[in-house]
Amino acid sequence: MRRQIITICGLTILSLLTMPPRSRADESVVNSPHDLSARGPGPVRAIHENEICIFCHTPHNGAPQTPLWNRENPRTHYRIYRSSTVDARIDQPTGPSKMCLSCHDGSMALGNVLSRPLTHPIMMTARTIPPGTADLSNDLSDDHPIGFRYDRALSNADPQIRPPEVISATLPLGVHQEMHCTTCHDPHNNERGDFLRISDQMSTMCITCHDLKGWSHASHANSGKRTTGRTVDPTERLKYATVADNGCINCHKIHSANERERLLRFRREEDGCLNCHSGTVASFNIASDIRKRSSHDPTRRTKVHDPVENALTMRRHSECADCHNPHAAAPNPIGLVRGTLGPLVKGPNLRVSGITISGREIDHSNFTYEMCLKCHADGVARPRLTTTRQVSQTNTRLEFQTSNPSFHPIAGPRRNADVVSLLSPLRVGSVITCTDCHNSDTARAFGGSGPNGPHGSIFEPLLARNYSTDDFTTESAQAYALCYGCHNRDSILGDDSFSRHRRHIVDIRTPCSACHDAHGIYRGQGNSVNHGSLINFDMSIVQSADSPAGRRIAYEDTGRLAGNCTLTCHGFTHVSLPYSNAGPRKTALKSGKISRGGRR
Amino acid sequence: MIGAKVLLVSAAVMCLALTGLASSGIEGSKHDFSSQDWSGGDKCAACHVTKKEDAPSNAPLWNPKADLKKRFNHQDNQVSRSGDGTRICLQCHDGTIAKPIVPGVKTTRFVHTKHPQTFTTGHGRSDHPVGVIYPAFSDKFHPTTTVLSKGTVLLPHGRVECTSCHDPHNQSDAPYMLVQSNARSALCLTCHKK
Repeated sequence: MRRQIITICGLTILSLLTMPPRSRADESVVNSPHDLSARGPGPVRAIHENEICIFCHTPHNGAPQTPLWNRENPRTHYRIYRSSTVDARIDQPTGPSKMCLSCHDGSMALGNVLSRPLTHPIMMTARTIPPGTADLSNDLSDDHPIGFRYDRALSNADPQIRPPEVISATLPLGVHQEMHCTTCHDPHNNERGDFLRISDQMSTMCITCHDLKGWSHASHANSGKRTTGRTVDPTERLKYATVADNGCINCHKIHSANERERLLRFRREEDGCLNCHSGTVASFNIASDIRKRSSHDPTRRTKVHDPVENALTMRRHSECADCHNPHAAAPNPIGLVRGTLGPLVKGPNLRVSGITISGREIDHSNFTYEMCLKCHADGVARPRLTTTRQVSQTNTRLEFQTSNPSFHPIAGPRRNADVVSLLSPLRVGSVITCTDCHNSDTARAFGGSGPNGPHGSIFEPLLARNYSTDDFTTESAQAYALCYGCHNRDSILGDDSFSRHRRHIVDIRTPCSACHDAHGIYRGQGNSVNHGSLINFDMSIVQSADSPAGRRIAYEDTGRLAGNCTLTCHGFTHVSLPYSNAGPRKTALKSGKISRGGRR
Repeated sequence: MIGAKVLLVSAAVMCLALTGLASSGIEGSKHDFSSQDWSGGDKCAACHVTKKEDAPSNAPLWNPKADLKKRFNHQDNQVSRSGDGTRICLQCHDGTIAKPIVPGVKTTRFVHTKHPQTFTTGHGRSDHPVGVIYPAFSDKFHPTTTVLSKGTVLLPHGRVECTSCHDPHNQSDAPYMLVQSNARSALCLTCHKK
């Protein structure tokens, strides 16, 4: 019995060894989706024809095109790709691309080959390519462009395109260096799926040509987060499991993209971001922030944002891409807390365009405020004022000029020794950012659990903490939480700087904003005597008063921690009413925040 | 033991199935001209002579009436370089004598296209290159030994000729007198690594 078993095993092994080796089907056109023969694997195949090559090639009587082509070229006029950011001149497809389109534009019968008379085409299960991903239609504007010259002129014009000699080793271009379907696809080899020439895992295919600045360190290129649980298209299958593996195709569709320009997967720009940034795939839930009362809501406008937009003339909008470059956004360095972040842009805002404090457009913002100035400065899109003040200014860029009589130190340090209330680590001379005040109320930087950044807040106007501007607000740590975040409440109410702070804020219940303009006063609208210490009265609370110089509202700085006011407020009339706090005081001395003799 | 017997029997059946498809040969094929008056009832006379001394060259006793240089050597390097295995076929298959290869598609003459390895047949059609040296060391083609080991495709003097794919004596009975059936494009894929 044992001998018999050995014999049987031996014979089986022998028969297995002598069997012809099975060719690897996935490396060959045989048994690939392009095997249209009757025994082909796909739903589209011939009914009787058992040859594989014949659908495209013939040994005799082929078309005069080189690979013994067995099909007519389509005479279709295609709608071609257009984009505001493309530098290539895209023409109608030619050469090999047209050969592909002879099936893949869905117009020509699959079985009509030149080697057969028109009256006897190859009988197929489907006359033309059925609707689906393989049917590109005659609208190629939602597909990656082909039919343009990929030459040095192009790579010189677009710094994010690699030189052609770099790519041609792996991806072949046409005889005139033009891009074809066959640049990315090898119709005979489906080893990597989709007949790709090289793998598209981790965007290997795309970044062969596209040299996206900052991509190598970007979160989207490196995140190992799984893409399951997306909110906009939870059912669509992405090719790979993780964000890093999918790379470009997380957001882009190379063919039949829903949003034609820039081949985005969604028509609404923000959907591409919120798909993952809704608390599912990405760590933080941006979607909940942008639904708050005051927010940079990207859902308000669609198709207004354009990467090449002019900040001066663009329509008002806020899209994610206005402040984030998805090709370069990187994680925040760990361990930085508010006050020590400094004014430089953080990881998520790397390589985003901006406007400098002097009004110059730049491709990459260096400071956070430069991104803000795109909308909140010289452009027509800037928001209106909500508070009427002595002097009005909607141009935030002017409000923060470092040559202004007074300003919060966004664009540069301010050395005003009168500011004695600063909480450590801030000190006179520190530089803060817009996001130190304008931030999400749930931001991590402010002790919350949500994402940092001015996405949305329950406190208007997009403030990280409560900031009451209503007259007769009862003073509390909560009422002016925003101010008290940096300015020591004890110091303010202890009258360390302005000797009447406690009386005004606590006793008479005037808000901080009644006298102070949080941003700054432009040097063209006031001087350091009238508008020092961010004094710019809220006209809805403060009225003018009769004075020897006529009816007026005025503040006058008369020296260190001293000045006088002419105004009417809460029924009290001040006419050049002086105050003085000169000389060192207890708290100030204790905390060492006043430097003796220090003057602005 | 029973298993071994089953294996042996099935192997025998396989062998029979493979070899049992007997080829029909030239008789009755389209190359059988014995019914034509001019052939004198001889199947072979269209191409061959019977006596060695009548033949213009050694192999394979070509009929001297078949003018091997007819039409095809004018400025046509590819054809003039090609061997007899191509030129003897083109005697008839330039469309002047033989029927067009494909019904409804008339072949008139073979000229070169701009592409060095492809012919065009007069009215903007192209044909597989013949008379070319087989690109044995290209990664797009199988090595010569692999091709020849299949025993069907011939590469006379290392070149691709008509007789590489076509057997004028019709020994395999495949359509178009191919040397083997092209089902699943097996003939194409003998050389082409696709």
